[in-house]
Amino acid sequence: MQEHTTQNSAIPVGDLISSSDRVAAQTVVSAVSDLFFSTPNLEALAVIDGMKPQGLITRTKLFFTLSRRFGNELYARQPIISIADTAPLVVSDDEQLDGVIDKAFARLPENTYDEIIVTRADGTYLGLLSVKQLVIEQSNALSRSVLLEEMATARAQELERINQVKTKFLANVTHELRSPVNAIIGLAELLRIASEQGSMEQVRERLTFMISTATNLRGVITNILDLSKMEAGKMDVARQLVDPGPLLSEIAETTRILVGTKPVAVSVVMPAEPVLISTDPIKLRQIMTNLTSNAAKFTDRGSIEIGLSIHDSGMEFRVRDTGIGIREEDLNLIFSAFGQVEDASTKTHEGTGLGLTISRNLAKLLGGSISVSSTYCNGSTFSLSLPLRQIETEGEQSHAA
Amino acid sequence: MQHKQTVMVIDDDDIHLYTTKELLSSSRIEVVTHQGSFGATSRVKAVKPDLLLLDVNMPALSGANLADIIRPLCTELQTPIVFYSSNDEETLRELVAAHGAQGYICKGDVTALRNKVNAYLAGVCTNCRG
Repeated sequence: MQEHTTQNSAIPVGDLISSSDRVAAQTVVSAVSDLFFSTPNLEALAVIDGMKPQGLITRTKLFFTLSRRFGNELYARQPIISIADTAPLVVSDDEQLDGVIDKAFARLPENTYDEIIVTRADGTYLGLLSVKQLVIEQSNALSRSVLLEEMATARAQELERINQVKTKFLANVTHELRSPVNAIIGLAELLRIASEQGSMEQVRERLTFMISTATNLRGVITNILDLSKMEAGKMDVARQLVDPGPLLSEIAETTRILVGTKPVAVSVVMPAEPVLISTDPIKLRQIMTNLTSNAAKFTDRGSIEIGLSIHDSGMEFRVRDTGIGIREEDLNLIFSAFGQVEDASTKTHEGTGLGLTISRNLAKLLGGSISVSSTYCNGSTFSLSLPLRQIETEGEQSHAA
Repeated sequence: MQHKQTVMVIDDDDIHLYTTKELLSSSRIEVVTHQGSFGATSRVKAVKPDLLLLDVNMPALSGANLADIIRPLCTELQTPIVFYSSNDEETLRELVAAHGAQGYICKGDVTALRNKVNAYLAGVCTNCRG
């Protein structure tokens, strides 16, 4: 199918031969007539002399000739060549379907549906083409080409959509990079003014702002680079045995700093039994830090609970907050880069918009997944599920170590 | 004694607010800052600024949407609305056209910021497209 591509004219008729039935030129008409009688599916025979076609005899023409007045008496004992069409349409096997059909329909109306003789390049007989079969093939080829065209259109539309997403992504990336750079330029200008005026207090204040903006910028750049690294499949997982207890406590400490003076209690819930897990601690920390910093950003009062629980099916790290929550319609968008639905120019959420995309990709790298459940205005719970095979008891760990 | 003109800056980012205020404040210009879109309308009503610099990318309500809401008030006060953003110029030009703002200023160009703000305040740039 595929080699016939979009051009139906690109089918050589040699591929479409329906029979290679033949009869020698000197065979008597009655013998050919018997053959047609005993072979109901036989529609036509090439009349050949040696290897070369001399004429064509069709079932219709043979019976028509014999059924005429005295037809049988006149012709039954004659060689078939005497009543055959001695100037049939003969085409070469490499001629194209469309051209051959044109030739077939250019014949006299009474011959239009006669079979067509196909020869090799050297003129020797190869087989017969049924005109009906050719027409069916042509129509099939046409619908194939329509189908291919539709597929091509669908592909083009998909590419267009991907392009738009990429353009939006790029616009967002550009804005996220430019915004802190512009702040740094402004701050540098202000620093110059402050230093000219000798105001050390202003220099100190502006340097503090500049350092924090530059640090944010570094975060954005790291995120973008991480994302491209992951999309290029260049990020490696370095597993080691990790005690999640100290890790989660440390993340909780960072979260408390982010929460600042807001009335939000940060707690850690660990399983009763101590566990060691085999994972990439840097990536686990990156995911959990991202989830907890989101929680800190979107929770103004209440609590943030950082937890780990072990089930038969796996282990689950959890960040539950009592923050603003997420609208149901936004739940499946939050993991896409920049939410992807928003233009840079109309974006309504702060942050780089890459954290959750990166976290989800990191979770995938670790063999797990991230899910979210949330009620708008009523808090969110993000869960990182990792497969259980990564869990080892302390006893097993001594073997592994 | 010349009357001080007022520029109001609306931005969600406190460092951008700080920077813009410090860069523009002078003996002739008083800068009032407002963080985020919430409460911006009543603040504009109270301050009656001579020029409004509006950031575009803000959480909850973007500067472009805020411009739609605030435009009748600004028309009444004869306050030009100028987008002040880190987006690229083409985007800003489109936003100016789509949201009936008086123009735009690209963040990051301190000289252009001062020049354009002065031009708007002098009333010579009411139809400036950037």
